[in-house]
Amino acid sequence: MVTEQHPQEGSVKHRHRQEGPQRHIVVFIFSVVLTLIAFAAVAAGGVNASFAVILLLVMAVLQVFLQMGFWMHLKDKGHLMPIIFMLGGFFIAGTCIVMALYWVWWD
Amino acid sequence: MTTAHAEAVKGTLPHEPEKATLEGRNKVLAFWLFLGGEAVLFGTLFATFLALRNQTNDGPSANELFHLPLVAAATFLLLVSSLTSVFAIQAMHRNRPALLRSWLLVTVVLGAAFLGLEIYEFSEYVRHEKFGMTTSAFSSAFYTLVGFHGAHVAFGILWISVLIGQLVRKGLTVVTAPKIYVSAMYWHFIDVVWVFIFTVVYLLGKVG
Repeated sequence: MVTEQHPQEGSVKHRHRQEGPQRHIVVFIFSVVLTLIAFAAVAAGGVNASFAVILLLVMAVLQVFLQMGFWMHLKDKGHLMPIIFMLGGFFIAGTCIVMALYWVWWD
Repeated sequence: MTTAHAEAVKGTLPHEPEKATLEGRNKVLAFWLFLGGEAVLFGTLFATFLALRNQTNDGPSANELFHLPLVAAATFLLLVSSLTSVFAIQAMHRNRPALLRSWLLVTVVLGAAFLGLEIYEFSEYVRHEKFGMTTSAFSSAFYTLVGFHGAHVAFGILWISVLIGQLVRKGLTVVTAPKIYVSAMYWHFIDVVWVFIFTVVYLLGKVG
């Protein structure tokens, strides 16, 4: 892959200052908070159903963005092809879901 | 050839050993393609589930069936295991094989606990709620989607366990590092799928 960065002798020490666990713990805390918001909204009850659907989906998508970006390193350099692969997969998956919902809602 | 290569780097590992060889880089790239395919696979199962989730055939509905505390516990287990596999990769990048093995072991144990909860959940549904695979279209779609995810967790547990054994026998080298990196990607992806499952299947099931 052309965009991949290969660690070169000499540049390694400079480029690869070890990343600490801090930001991964921050991502973890954000994930926990997003999960708690989702569970709390449902457990508390009384939340308007269509508002709850939107809230839950937004929480889920945010959490997935965080985890794929930081834990799976998609936000790092040299991940253009992985992003294309995943977006391709999500696009087809989304098409299937829209098709199924369209099918049962307007039969 | 691979062992000779591995011997040469003993003790001094490149900073990102999973990307130090062409084979390693290809493995990581190809695994992303596989994960794209996995996204399609789960997308079709989610589509089926969303279409059939209200077809209860006089069997239990999602709202009657699901207990949020159990789902929350399972969610937390898998989320923590995703974090511990991040720590495993960080230990790998610091060339600390013993620490790497420990974090992988913690990940496997948490994954097994998740799987145990899921088996308990399913057996409760089947025995006490009369909610089997063929009870309704909803039950079939539920067991297929959630069960497929559970099967992925089970496979991940086996895979990472085998890799721990390989680490013990062969050590951390530019040959074993890509395998570990790729298994961590797989584990994160399983957690990502679970985020959608607890949202779409359980929480939206409770909302109605």
